Amino acid sequence: MSEERPLILLRGLRKEFNGLVAVEGLDLEIKEGEFICFLGPSGCGKTTTLRMIAGLETPTAGDIFLRGKRINDLPPQQRQVGFVFQNYALFWHATVYDNLAFGLRVREVSKEEIDRRVRETAARFELEPLLETRASRLSLSAMQRVALGRTLLTEPNVLLLDEPLNNIRPGLREVMRAELKRLQQQLGRTMIYVTHDQEEAMTLGDRILVMNMGRAEQLASPRQIYHRPETLFVAGFIGRPPMNFLETQYRVEGDRAFLERGNLRWEVSEKRSIIEEKVKGNRIVLGIRPEHILPVAEAREKGLTGQAVPVTVDLVQPLARKKIVDLKVGDKVIKMLVPGTSSLAKGEELEVIFDPRKMHLFDQKTERAIV
Amino acid sequence: MQTETNKGVTTARIVETRKLGPALRFVLALIVAIIVLLPVIWILSISFKPVEEWKADPPTLLPRRPILDNYKILFRIGNPVGTVREMVSSAEPVNRAFLNSLIIAPISTVASVLIGFCAAYAVSRYQVGGNFMPFFTLTTRMFPPAAFAVPLLFYYSWILRNYLKIDLYDTHLGLILMYTGFTVAFSLWMMKGFIDAVPRHVEEAAILDGASPWRVLFTITLPLVKGGLFATTLFVFILNWTEFLLALEFTSREAITVPVQISRYATAVGEFYGPKAALGIIASIPVVIAGYLIQRHLVTGFTFGMVRE
Repeated sequence: MSEERPLILLRGLRKEFNGLVAVEGLDLEIKEGEFICFLGPSGCGKTTTLRMIAGLETPTAGDIFLRGKRINDLPPQQRQVGFVFQNYALFWHATVYDNLAFGLRVREVSKEEIDRRVRETAARFELEPLLETRASRLSLSAMQRVALGRTLLTEPNVLLLDEPLNNIRPGLREVMRAELKRLQQQLGRTMIYVTHDQEEAMTLGDRILVMNMGRAEQLASPRQIYHRPETLFVAGFIGRPPMNFLETQYRVEGDRAFLERGNLRWEVSEKRSIIEEKVKGNRIVLGIRPEHILPVAEAREKGLTGQAVPVTVDLVQPLARKKIVDLKVGDKVIKMLVPGTSSLAKGEELEVIFDPRKMHLFDQKTERAIV
Repeated sequence: MQTETNKGVTTARIVETRKLGPALRFVLALIVAIIVLLPVIWILSISFKPVEEWKADPPTLLPRRPILDNYKILFRIGNPVGTVREMVSSAEPVNRAFLNSLIIAPISTVASVLIGFCAAYAVSRYQVGGNFMPFFTLTTRMFPPAAFAVPLLFYYSWILRNYLKIDLYDTHLGLILMYTGFTVAFSLWMMKGFIDAVPRHVEEAAILDGASPWRVLFTITLPLVKGGLFATTLFVFILNWTEFLLALEFTSREAITVPVQISRYATAVGEFYGPKAALGIIASIPVVIAGYLIQRHLVTGFTFGMVRE
C-alpha cells in the first residue's frame, strides 16, 4: 500500500435499484488534493457512485472509507462532503447571502464570523454586488459561483461535482471550465468531477475513471487514457472522431506473425510472445486513431512502413483546421484525419498506411487491450 | 410531453382568437363576463330591493327604490317596516351563525392543511404508504357526501353519545372534525403536487450543508411551497366556508353555520329573497378578503420552483 493514507477508499462498491445494477465491484483510491474525473455515458453509474460517497444513496454492498474510517453508516450531514449539483440546487427563495450563509448557520457559527466569511467568499467569487439578490434571479454563471461558494464555505473534506457545466452554453462553458481548474489549483482541494464530456475530463482531471455499465473500465491519467486505453470501450469512447476498429485474424508463418483481414496483413512479429500469452483465440481487433492513418507518400517521407491499404474516399467533412475523411476499406468505413489543406475528394482512390507504433490491439473476446 | 402538447394547444387558441379582430374579441369577452357575473349582480341587486320588488314581473335589474332593510334585518338593527319584519321575525338572528362559521371554517382549514402538508411531505419524499395509501385517501371524496351523512349521523348521535359519552352533535368540534376529515385528501393531493415540484436536489444540498431533516423541511421546503400552501388554504377554506349538507345534518341550533342560516330564509311562511341575498353577499366577503390578501403569494407561489428544475 502507499505510505499516504488515501482520502477516499472505495472497496467492492455495489448499488442496485429494484434489481437493476447501477454500480458493480468498484474499487478506487483517491489521494488528498487530487482532481478525479468520473467519465462515462449517461447511466454508467458515475453519478450514483458520487451520491454514495456523499451519503445520498446507501450502497447495496461494499465499503466507503474516508481517511481510513468506514463511513457507510454515517449520515450525509456528518460526512463533511461538499456537493455541487447539476442544476446547482440553490435555495431560490433566499438571497445570495442567505444561500452562502446556510451551512454556517446550521453549524451555529457566530453572526460576525458568518458575515466575515460570507463576504470573503463573495469577494473571491465576485458575488459582492449580488449578495442581496434572490437566487432565482441570477445568471447561470452566478448560480454556479454561488453553488461553489456555498459548498466551499462549509470547508468540506472533498468536493463532489455532478456535471456542473452541463446546462451552460458552449463558449461560456470553456470559460467556466478554466475558472474551475484555476480554483482547484488555488485551493488544492480534493475534487471528484462527474462528466460525460471527454474534453472536460481530459482538461480537468489529474486522473480519469472511465465507467461503463456500472463498472470501472480504466483509471489512469488523461494521457494514458488516450494513448494506452485498456479496453475496447475506453478506446472507442475517448477521442474525437473515435478510434477505428478492424477485426482481424492472427496467423503465424514460420517465425513471423501477422494480423490478416482479407488480403491485407500487418506484421506483428515483435508482439508475438505477448499476443500468444494473452489471447485465447485468434481473433484480434486492430485499433487505429484517425490521426494515425497517413497517405502512403507522407508515411514514406516519415520513414513509416507497413501494409499499404487501398481505400476509396467516401466523404470529406471539413473542420476548422482539419478534415475528417471517411475511407472505404472493402465494406468497412474508417475515418482519417488530414490537414485542412488536403485536396482529397469523394471517389478518389489512394493507399494509406497505419502508423505501426500507434496501433492498438484488443482481444476480441475479452475486449481488453493486448499490452 | 403532456405539457408540451397543452402548450401547443393554448398557443394555437391564442393565435386563433387574435385573428378574430379586437371588436369581435371584445364582444365575446363581454358575453362571457355577463354570463359569469349576472347571478352575482342579481344577488347584489336583490339584497337592496324592498319586498315588493323581490318577485316583480317584469323583473328589474336594479332596485327602483334601494333600501338597506335586508341587511338590517339580518342583524336586527333598527326597526324594519311591514311585511319583511313579520316574515323574518321567525328566523334566528344571523350573528350566531356568522360567529360559528368564523370559528369552524378557519380552524378546520388550518387543521386540514397542516395534516395534509405533513402527509404530502411523507408521501412525496419518503413514499409513505406506497401507491395505495395516497390514493385511498381519495375515497373520502369518491362517494357523494350524502352517502356518508346517514352513517355519520348514526355514529355521532348514537355510538359516540351513548357508548363513549362524547356529544359531538350540534357542536363546533363535531363539524371541525368532519370538515377536517373531508378536506384532508384535497390538502394532501394539492400539497403533494407542490412538494413534488421542489427538486430533491435542493433538499439534498441543505442536508449536505449539515441541516437536519426538520431544518430542511422548515427552512427550505416550506418557504419554497409557500405559494402552494396559501393556494391550498384558500381552496380548502372556500370548501369549508360554503359546506351545506353536513352542517344542515349535524347542527340544529347552537352550531349552525352561514349556509344553513341562508337556507332558513325559505320556510313555509314564504321565501325571504331579500335577506337571503343580503346574507349571501356578506358571506362572500371573508372569501374575497382572503383571496385578495394572499393574491400576491398565489402568483409568486406558482412561478417559483416550477420554472427552474
